[in-house]
Amino acid sequence: MPVSGRLDVGGALDGAVELETLDPEPWELPGARIVQASLEIVEAAAEAAIPPALHPSIPPYATFTVVEFPESPVGPFHLAQVRIVARAGIRPRGFLVGAVVDSEPAATALAAGWGFGTSVGEVGLTVRHDRWIGRVARHGQTVLEVVCRDPQVINGADVDLLDSLHLVRYEGDGLIVQVDPEYTYREAHRGGAELGVFVPDAWGGAVRPTSPNVAVAVVADTDLPKPRFVMDPNRPAVEGTRRLEPA
Amino acid sequence: MKFGIFYELSVPRPWDAEAEHTVYMNALEQVRLADRVGFDQVWAVEHHFLEEYSHCSAPEVFLTACAAQTERIRIGHGIVICVPEFNHPVRIAERAAALDIVSGGRLEFGTGRSATWTELGGFKANPDDTKKSWDEFVHAIPKMWTQERFSHDGHFFSMPSRAVLPKPYQRPHPPMWVAMSSPGTEFDAADRGMGALGVNFASFAETEQRVKEYRRRIQNCDPVGEIVTDQLASVNFLYCHPDDARGVDIGMRMIRTFQYMAGQLDMAKEVFPTRSYPTAGLLAQTRRQAAGPGDERGAPEGIAVGNPDQIIGQLKKWEACGVDRINLLLNAAENIPQDQVLDSLQLFADEVMPAFAGAREPVGMAGGGS
Repeated sequence: MPVSGRLDVGGALDGAVELETLDPEPWELPGARIVQASLEIVEAAAEAAIPPALHPSIPPYATFTVVEFPESPVGPFHLAQVRIVARAGIRPRGFLVGAVVDSEPAATALAAGWGFGTSVGEVGLTVRHDRWIGRVARHGQTVLEVVCRDPQVINGADVDLLDSLHLVRYEGDGLIVQVDPEYTYREAHRGGAELGVFVPDAWGGAVRPTSPNVAVAVVADTDLPKPRFVMDPNRPAVEGTRRLEPA
Repeated sequence: MKFGIFYELSVPRPWDAEAEHTVYMNALEQVRLADRVGFDQVWAVEHHFLEEYSHCSAPEVFLTACAAQTERIRIGHGIVICVPEFNHPVRIAERAAALDIVSGGRLEFGTGRSATWTELGGFKANPDDTKKSWDEFVHAIPKMWTQERFSHDGHFFSMPSRAVLPKPYQRPHPPMWVAMSSPGTEFDAADRGMGALGVNFASFAETEQRVKEYRRRIQNCDPVGEIVTDQLASVNFLYCHPDDARGVDIGMRMIRTFQYMAGQLDMAKEVFPTRSYPTAGLLAQTRRQAAGPGDERGAPEGIAVGNPDQIIGQLKKWEACGVDRINLLLNAAENIPQDQVLDSLQLFADEVMPAFAGAREPVGMAGGGS
C-alpha cells in the first residue's frame, strides 16, 4: 500500500486552531488575484509533515500561494499559504502547513470559520506583464517570494486549484477540515514557477523545495463555503472521512 | 471478439529482493497459460517512476520473454511513449522490429504519450508538446520500417539518411494502435488508420456512438503506415470464479487496489494546466469505469468479475457496442494469489470464450516475409 504520513498529530495539535463550529457563514470573495507556484519537495520531510490520514503524492510537491482579496466580509486582505499536496484516499488535496495574512480581523475570522492557522505579517501581490510576484514578510524579513514568470494566457477550465485540508482541534479531538472553494475564472495564465525567497522555518520547517513544476496566475471569483467534509487525522481518509450534513 | 491480457506489473511494498522478481515471474506464468488456452494478445505498458502502480519501464524486455515462452499469442508492445525525452523514435522502431522478429511476426505496436506528471515531469517533458511529438513519431516510424534508408527533418527530431535496422518480420509492418488518453483520441486513431486501445466511455450508449463514428472516419483515413488497423480494444478487469458472489468480492478487491494505487500518482492535468490534457487520461478512465454504479451484485456495469455467466453477459454488452477486443487486467499489487489468477484465466477460457465467435481463431497477421 502507498506510504502514509507520519506526522505526530498530538504534537501538531498543540499549535493548531481550536474550532468552535463547523457551520460558519460562507464568504463570497469576488475578484481574487492569485499567484501560485508548485514545486517538488524532499520526500522524507513531506511524509513527516502530513498526518497518517494522508498519503504523499508521487512525487511529493507543495504549492506556494499568495492571494489578494479586494472584497470580503472583513474588508480587503492578502493571504499567503504553503500546502503539501497529498492524497486523501485517491483525491488530491493541499495540506496546510503555514499561512500568513495581513489583516488581524481576517486572521481571526479565517481561524474561527475554517481553521486557518495564520500568523499576521506583510503580504503583497504585484502584477507585471513579465511576471506576477507574491511576497510575504514577517518581522521585517522576507520569508516567501513566489513568482509566476512569463505568464501565458490559458483557459481557466484547465486550472485545477486543489481543495485544502486544515488540522484543527474540535471538541477536544484532532480533526481535519476540508476547505473547498469554487472558482469562476476571469483570467488565467500559466508560467514558470520560481521561489525568489523561501525560508523553510517560517513555514513549519518541513517543506524543502527541489524542482519547479509550474505556476499559475489567475483572477477569479471565489468563496469560502461551509465545510462539507471532515476527517480523522489518524485514520486513512477512506475510512475516517465524514460528510457534514447541512445545518 | 478477441480477448487479450494486459500488464502494468504492479509491485506492492515492501520492495525486498523478491518482490519485483515474483511479479514478473507470476506474469510470465500467466502469459504461458493464456497462450495455451487461446487468448489472442498480451500487452505490457511502458511506465516510469509509478511507485507500486507499474514497475514496467522496459516492456520490450518483458515482452521478449513472453515471446520466447509462447507460440501463438500476439505480443502487444504498448503503449510505447512517443515523447522525445522518453524515447528516440529510431530506438522505438529498432526495438519494436527486433521484438517482431524474435516473436515470429506477432507484434502489435501501441503508441501513446503518458498522462502523468510523475513521468512527464521526471523526464522534463513539456505536456503541451506530447500530442505533437506523438503525431510526428507515428508518421515517421512506419517509414523507418518500410524504407531501406530513412531521413527526417522535423520539429521533434531530425536525422540524415540512415538504414534503421532491423526491419520487422511482418510485412509491410506490424499493426499500429494508439492509447485513448483523452476524448477524441479515437478519432485521431481513425484519421490515421490506427487501432484504438483502451476504449472506455461513460456509458454503453456513448461507446456505441463513438465506435460508429470511428468506423465512419477510418474509411476515409490518411494512414500513417502502409496498412490500416480498423480495430477498437477496450480495457477491463477479470476475475472469474464458479461462485458469483466470491468472484465479485475478490474481483472488486483487486479493482479497488488498482484504483487506490493509480490515485496516488500526479496526473498531468492536476499539476500542469494545459489543453493537451483536458482529462486525467486512461488510468482515470479505467478507474471511473470500475467505480461506476454497482448492480445488485456489487459490481459496476460492464466489469468482468463474477461467475462465467455473469461475465458473458457483461462482455456481450461491449460486443454489442462494436468493440473488437477486450484486454483484461488480471491482478493488482499481487492482491489475488497466483493460483487463483491462473484458475480464473482457465475458467474464463473454458466457459466464457466459447460464447464469443472467433475468440480463439488466430488473427492471421503473423508470418512475415514479403
